[in-house]
Amino acid sequence: MIEDLFEIERLAYGDSPVHRLDARVKIVIAFGAIIALVAYPVHGSVYLFAGVMGALLVALLLASRVPLRTFLLRVGAILPFGLSILVFQVLFPPVAFASPTVLLALPLGVEITAEALAKAAMIGVRFVLCIGFIVLLSSTTRLQDLLTGARRLGFPSEFTLILGMMARYLFVFGQMFVRVMNALATRCFDPLDRSLPYGYRLRQTGYTIGTMFLRSYEQGERTYTAMLCRGYGRDAYLFVPKKPLSRGDWTVLAACMAVVCVGPVAVFLFSTLPG
Amino acid sequence: MHLIETVHLSFAYRDSVRALDDVNFLAPRNLRIAVIGPNGAGKSTLFKHLNGIALAQEGKVLVRGEPITKKNLKEVRKFVGVVFQNPDDQIFAPTVEQDVAFGPTNLGLDEATVMHRVDEALGLLGIEYLRHRAPHHLSGGEKKRVAIAGVLAMEPEVLVMDEPTAGLDPRGRDDLVGFVNSLSSRFGMTVIFSTHDLDLVTAMADYIYVMDQGRILAQGTVQEIFEQEEMLRRIRLDVPVIPKLCRALRRRGAPVPIAYTAEEAEEGLAAVLSLPRRP
Repeated sequence: MIEDLFEIERLAYGDSPVHRLDARVKIVIAFGAIIALVAYPVHGSVYLFAGVMGALLVALLLASRVPLRTFLLRVGAILPFGLSILVFQVLFPPVAFASPTVLLALPLGVEITAEALAKAAMIGVRFVLCIGFIVLLSSTTRLQDLLTGARRLGFPSEFTLILGMMARYLFVFGQMFVRVMNALATRCFDPLDRSLPYGYRLRQTGYTIGTMFLRSYEQGERTYTAMLCRGYGRDAYLFVPKKPLSRGDWTVLAACMAVVCVGPVAVFLFSTLPG
Repeated sequence: MHLIETVHLSFAYRDSVRALDDVNFLAPRNLRIAVIGPNGAGKSTLFKHLNGIALAQEGKVLVRGEPITKKNLKEVRKFVGVVFQNPDDQIFAPTVEQDVAFGPTNLGLDEATVMHRVDEALGLLGIEYLRHRAPHHLSGGEKKRVAIAGVLAMEPEVLVMDEPTAGLDPRGRDDLVGFVNSLSSRFGMTVIFSTHDLDLVTAMADYIYVMDQGRILAQGTVQEIFEQEEMLRRIRLDVPVIPKLCRALRRRGAPVPIAYTAEEAEEGLAAVLSLPRRP
């Protein structure tokens, strides 16, 4: 399973019009879309607006040639986090409704109301779209490009440096994990092997986890010393050369941002205008 | 029947780099085999196949004539012990004793047998005094010996070592050479190791496999391989310093026999210079 860690970036190394866009453009579009989706009022027209944003997402997804199955799997992997919020929204709505229509009364005075369900659905559809934009961003942009793009957009270098190192060490840790697992297998240890006593397996697994932490800590110290040797200090930052956006980048940015900015206003006005 | 045999073994990692390409490798009983090659030649990948850490994608890996399956995996790993390059990957228990006991315990042996094996393994490597020490307080050479003891405690018949002398000081390296050679001469074990240290090959191997880009480029005795200077250079390897010196002297007209170890060279030169025999 850990091998999948090394595969995770494979898609981002692909080639398509979306992959070729500057990371800054993709970051701005993704976050613009998320802000628009989150900021849209809780109103029946949210579904129409979601349709507009969904169309934008699908258009970008088709242009990116990211396999639909992988895309859905990745969105699906994040969904449970949002679902837990929705469940709470349904069971314990933060705002009391004026005249709730109770659909189901549960013990301890918990009620499921039609209003809470409707509101949860509105949040849900926005959540799925937000995740969709983030997954599209991460599937079409290499991690290093994301960090460079963020830096060029004025993101503080402390964050990008730390995020960059985190990503680097995630892979170092992954490789270490694989090596330790191989070493355990070589000496015939399998945590699920029922022929060994339960306590023994638990203890050895505990030792393994402890060792991994120790080794990560030691690796961290070594790396930090090496960083100090190369002049790392409070003012250190990753070198990012300047790069102007191409005309194509500007065109895509303008088109997408037009949808993101004009879309919500237009949909809201259209659906709330009398008559 | 050979102890280990790979037949047309091929393997590619997911990023489609062909790490092994039609590898036919043989390991008979009581032979010291060196696998040499530049970085990325496929040596470690081959070793992972020898005890079923990686399973063959194409071709076969036969251990005592039988292919490795999930059923006989435990038996195979007991038979083929692998010592990893970095002992830190391998040693994890709070004390040396517990770490060496780890393998035998996993084989389901009773406590008395486990303790007996731990004593034997620690004794073989001369590290009884480390028994109750914590692994993270040991030096590189001590860790290496603990790692080897941990594998020997499982009493394998084939010992596979990835870069056994990496990170060892000259004394530690000499100790290791002496020890490995004794495994072969005293216990008839088969030892397979990979290295970039070509002098180690002359000191510790009977037979050599040369790998490059996942393929076996050449195989033969120490003499047969180190005669092919051109081929070794082409794959960024070299000839060990002693045969190289002997050849250079011969080219300049000195009737020096080609030697591979310091002792052989000493004898050859002494004969040429008509020095008296060593007392």
